[in-house]
Amino acid sequence: MFYIHQSSCISHQPTFTGVDLQNLQPSVNNQLPAIEPKYINIPLGQLRRMGRALRMGVGTGITLLEKHKADGILIATSNGGIEDSITFLNQIVDYNEGRLTPTHFVQSTFNAIAGLLGMITHNTGYNATHVHRGLAFENVALDVTMLLRENPGHIYLIGGVDEISVRNYRMEAMAGWYKKEPISNTELYASETEGALPGEGAAMFLVSNNAESATAKLADLKLLHTADENLVANQFAEFVRDREIDLLLSGESGDSRFKRYYTRCEQAVSENTAIARYKHFTGEFQTASALALWFSCWLLQNQTLPEHCIKRSGSKTAFNRIALYNNYQGVQHSFMLVESV
Amino acid sequence: MSRIAITGIGIITPLGDTLTLNRQALQEGRSGLSSLEIFPTKYASLLPFGEIKITDKELKTRLDVTEPGVTRTTLLALHAFKQAVENCGLSASEIQLSETAFINGTTVGGMCLSDALYQDANFRETGSEYLNSYDLSSVTLYIQQRYGITGICNTFNTACSSSANAIMYGARLIQNGFVKRAIVGGADSLAKFTINGFNSLGILSSAPCRPFDNARSGLNLGEGAAFLVLEKEDNVIDKPVYAYVSGWANSNDAFHPSSLSDDGEGPYLAMQQALQVARISPKEISFINTHGTATENNDEKESIAMQRVFGNVPAFASTKSNIGHTLGAAGAVEAVFCLLNLIHDEVYASLNFDTPIEATGLVPVTEYKHMRVEHVMSNSFGFGGNCSSLIFSKGQKAQ
Repeated sequence: MFYIHQSSCISHQPTFTGVDLQNLQPSVNNQLPAIEPKYINIPLGQLRRMGRALRMGVGTGITLLEKHKADGILIATSNGGIEDSITFLNQIVDYNEGRLTPTHFVQSTFNAIAGLLGMITHNTGYNATHVHRGLAFENVALDVTMLLRENPGHIYLIGGVDEISVRNYRMEAMAGWYKKEPISNTELYASETEGALPGEGAAMFLVSNNAESATAKLADLKLLHTADENLVANQFAEFVRDREIDLLLSGESGDSRFKRYYTRCEQAVSENTAIARYKHFTGEFQTASALALWFSCWLLQNQTLPEHCIKRSGSKTAFNRIALYNNYQGVQHSFMLVESV
Repeated sequence: MSRIAITGIGIITPLGDTLTLNRQALQEGRSGLSSLEIFPTKYASLLPFGEIKITDKELKTRLDVTEPGVTRTTLLALHAFKQAVENCGLSASEIQLSETAFINGTTVGGMCLSDALYQDANFRETGSEYLNSYDLSSVTLYIQQRYGITGICNTFNTACSSSANAIMYGARLIQNGFVKRAIVGGADSLAKFTINGFNSLGILSSAPCRPFDNARSGLNLGEGAAFLVLEKEDNVIDKPVYAYVSGWANSNDAFHPSSLSDDGEGPYLAMQQALQVARISPKEISFINTHGTATENNDEKESIAMQRVFGNVPAFASTKSNIGHTLGAAGAVEAVFCLLNLIHDEVYASLNFDTPIEATGLVPVTEYKHMRVEHVMSNSFGFGGNCSSLIFSKGQKAQ
């Protein structure tokens, strides 16, 4: 698939600068908002107009593109600048389709993150925005895998970004995707109710097919659309078969409806394999798997599993191969295999 | 290397809900632009639109859609998807195989329901039936679930080049061996969001649009959907190959969020690289289906880029003059028009053209004509600097 060289991440934990994953940041009113940095590398005139998703995406992306020129930019975002979209929509209705300023319209287009990254860094290479809900980032990973086969030696910026929007949160909550009762992220996995805690963030990576100076390798990837628990379990068993998995990184979200999928996948790995979780510090959102990949790279480099993430310690003395399973709303599933280099 | 064959076509546009009706209207040089009869907006009688004159209710009856929460964008997509797989003769079990991918491009998705979204986002205590339908992938996921597709599914939004990228992605998935076949295309329906968005940028024309005319005054918005079935040529045994997807490229203009650079660098790179992928020289292109939105900016910069790539620019036209700009669907809808060029060795008139753009002097095809068509290029450029070019090449009849 590909090698990962550099990464940048904004999340509910300090991950952008001075990474601290040991001390768990508490949830805020049933949400896991991202800690946003000062964005010193985004031109101020542009920063003022940007919504959260745009800021987080451009901020993490530029951080990497300043270090290394890329041959193209691939971004996953399920909702783009949804807060700006709905702001513009409200203006349309409130002013009865009167004369509007285009700022919110242009800023909220889903491809604005990849587009602005291209514009600011003068990158005329491949530029794509994948928006396929819980498999948007996985499609980015597949797309870049093909690009690297087609253009050996190239280096690409890939990433995933989504924001919590006040109004979109309202709708997703009404649709039953979030916890109704007040709950802290420290007790997320003990919860037996439906719904998760919403999160947001951005994770970006510079990737190539060159192992030299790489920090990790995405060794395999599978995307699956189904609600069939048996099919997921069988496919995951197939995915990890004959592979020495040191750690299973589970996308468990605390939503009681999807627990059974995760339980079945846990049964597919050996008892020696450690099991860890992350949605209590990233929250649940469509492109959370980008943050899970970032977390995997961090684990491979640091070899320490933060206490609050551990579901089962297992008996491995080192982490060299991590399998990830993620389930979005029970119908979109992905498996990733991340290895040390 | 095995080529990427096109073995199924499905389409719905303001010109008609079948391939035959679309061809007829194109041959006759008929415009599908009109005042709005179905979609409610303040601009219904003020601006021309490419509206499909079939209500959601009628589409639901025809397509046997009974579930709640299905939007117009999904209905248009389903119509074109169903036609494409039936046209190809794909069985239900073939569609469900993990070796079948489904790739969709859309920019509006469920946001066509602006008023319902307004209520749900701001006021309602309990949500409407559309809570899970406002995003883009709701369109893809409805069809995925209805047909039980298990393989790779994806949704693109690269603005007005979305479905061109969906076609490209499907072709590359086949070429890279990830799947054997891919159903690719896109859909968009009219929405207050886009009507008012483009209007706020001052690029909607109050008259039927005039691509490549010196007096052009902006674009008209339209709606539509189209899907193609792509298969590895080696696997196609007993059915006709309408054409091949032979070239593709995606680049970024890296200039401005909503307009093209003076020398059309993004369009230039997309066209140039698509020719390289197809391994053909510029002079082998018989015809170009341009992006040709009829905005002040696009047509001039696209002309400059075409002159940079081709020197002597081949025959070209813009079918935006027939149906308006169908945004995320445009790449797929126009791909189907390119297939008609190739299948029938004919090209269609670009409407409402009178005087060439002063700076470039290019004149589009203004009359229907028969001509040998070997390779057609289709351009799709969008906001965010997203530029894509595709090349389609002549197919062959079944043996």
